[in-house]
Amino acid sequence: MPAAVTGSSAITEVVHDGSRNTSLVRAVRELVGERECVWAFAERYIRLRYKQAILGVGWAIIKPIALFVPFLIFFGGAAGISGGGVSYAAFSIAVLGAWQYVAASVDLGSGALIVDGQLLRKIYFAREAPVIGAAISNVPDLGIGILIAIAAAPFTGAHLTLNLLWIPLLAVLLTVPAFGMMLPFSALAVYYRDFKYGMPLVIQLWLFLSPVAYPITTLPKKYQYLMAALNPVAGPLDGFRRTLAVGEGPNWTLVGLSAVSGTVLLVSGFWLFKRLERAFADVI
Amino acid sequence: MWAVRFEGVSKFYRERSWYSSFGGELADVRHSLAARLRREKITKPGTLALDKLSFEVQEGESFALLGPNGSGKTTALRVLTGITFPTEGLVRARGRVGALMEAGAAIHPELTGRENVFLYGSILGLPRRELRTRFDEIVDFAEVEPIIDRQVKYYSTGQQLRLGFSIASHLEPDIFAVDESLAVGDGNFQEKCVARMRKLVSGGTTVLFVSHFMPAVDALCDRAILMNEGRTLAQGPVKDVILSYVDFLEERRRNLGEAQWGTGPIRVIGASCHDGNGVEKRQFSAHERIEIRLQFETESAEVSVVDPKIVVGISDGRPQNVIECSMLDDDEHFWGDPVPRRWECRLMIDDLPLRPRLYHVRAMILDPTGYAELFSSHDVATFTIVGDTTAAGLGLVAQAGGDVAIETRHRWEFLT
Repeated sequence: MPAAVTGSSAITEVVHDGSRNTSLVRAVRELVGERECVWAFAERYIRLRYKQAILGVGWAIIKPIALFVPFLIFFGGAAGISGGGVSYAAFSIAVLGAWQYVAASVDLGSGALIVDGQLLRKIYFAREAPVIGAAISNVPDLGIGILIAIAAAPFTGAHLTLNLLWIPLLAVLLTVPAFGMMLPFSALAVYYRDFKYGMPLVIQLWLFLSPVAYPITTLPKKYQYLMAALNPVAGPLDGFRRTLAVGEGPNWTLVGLSAVSGTVLLVSGFWLFKRLERAFADVI
Repeated sequence: MWAVRFEGVSKFYRERSWYSSFGGELADVRHSLAARLRREKITKPGTLALDKLSFEVQEGESFALLGPNGSGKTTALRVLTGITFPTEGLVRARGRVGALMEAGAAIHPELTGRENVFLYGSILGLPRRELRTRFDEIVDFAEVEPIIDRQVKYYSTGQQLRLGFSIASHLEPDIFAVDESLAVGDGNFQEKCVARMRKLVSGGTTVLFVSHFMPAVDALCDRAILMNEGRTLAQGPVKDVILSYVDFLEERRRNLGEAQWGTGPIRVIGASCHDGNGVEKRQFSAHERIEIRLQFETESAEVSVVDPKIVVGISDGRPQNVIECSMLDDDEHFWGDPVPRRWECRLMIDDLPLRPRLYHVRAMILDPTGYAELFSSHDVATFTIVGDTTAAGLGLVAQAGGDVAIETRHRWEFLT
């Protein structure tokens, strides 16, 4: 975290000091300055993702469907869970892509610093870049997931309306808590690998605590609010169900509650990241 | 105006026991908390790599950091570039800092050369627009044009290194930190690297240079500091500091005195260089006669060492020796079998075909088969060849592995 202090001329003075104050504003400014580096990491992940695979980009379509089929059979069929005003198939396909975006980002992002450990030791770049890049690299997959849901609408009975236009906003609101998880976990994993190995378990548990296998409307009203407040992906995920399957606008109370808790998670996670960042190159 | 300032910079590398039990970690935390409550100074295990280091580099200057291994030179560069943070003190840099620490660190084998230029370049902080305009130049410099669209995993090691160096050295920072990356590729490419560095220096870039290869330091740098154990020992014009460094190495060797080198059955307990008249000297002129005297001690009378083979190498700071004299090659035998407790070997080289610079004398002892080391290779003495150091003195010797091509006229003598 080099502090940038503008000098008398156009030359910027960079200071590295032994003190431990963490300025998030400065960190964000620095990160914006290094956005090309973030893109570079994102691009590298995308280019490498389906290399040396026969099915190639086809995997981006196979992955969401592979989860959709068992969900449809077990939760929609055997367990008889409703889709919340629409068929279970329509609900599930609308939400799964969004959930997989969060899960894949958090999984990839929390290990990103370890994957690039050698780089961390040898060259300087904004330490957030590989982590954030990992999340951004999943955006195309999210897009494909949404397109699949739209393409499947005639078969699943989803109602598509102009409310689809809310989806970009919902995707951003989904990204906020994803960053909030990835940043601290990736930093902690530099110190203790347990945080990387434990991540798949956390994600699994998180899946069942999120309205992915069941619509949030299966819960009583007050528990819906509680869930949206405690689980920052709950509001946006429910938004995906409403806009991409039911055809109505998002529930702004739920989305708002999630946005608040997501922001709290992101700010505290980012702060922890910046605190731990100082010794990355020494301990990785 | 200064470009880089170190103000009392300390760096402490904490040593942690990563794979200890969770309980052990907890106990550590509890102890340090308890000590903090009692306002005690906690002593943690680790290394103090920089110890209140202060120096200043002027704008446009090329500055060398000299010192033995482990003296903190690389740590200083790491702190300057922001790879790691100082434990104490302030590092200030006016302008953008770029680094050439380990060329090719970010080269990804699965990507093509072209993709790597853009990705590695962006990670290093080169704007994409600039990368596009300089793309041909980078590829040209690396000499990989015909294979630029091939995955890097199909490149030879040399091609990968050249591509890495080329991308990193086309950064145009205000301050450039360079750490011994010159030794990549063959002799031809090394010369291109030196030329590239020189172009940066003459173009007004502030350069901080870490190297053990004194001719390059001498040719490229204006000023230098000599470091040891994270502190400054000397500072000034590069030629003076190189001489201080030579003195320092010699001094350290003398202080080792009885400490000896090696732990095997034979140890070296003394080493010195003498002229044709047997007078001990540290400076020689080219083509002078030199006598290298090595004193040995056999561990105990019971251990009988039969027919040890001594190999003496002379190097200019790079891994490969420039001259090598081996008793194995000469089919030379030590006359006293078994070897006495203390003995001396004198190697007389009639004519040193060496250019003016600092040289290290390395000694190694092998068993008669030549496969087992009785004393592993160690730098035991230094000497300098004096004369005009011109830029031509940089003529880089190709680092071919294996035998040294130079044939010297020399002879061996043994005393007990």
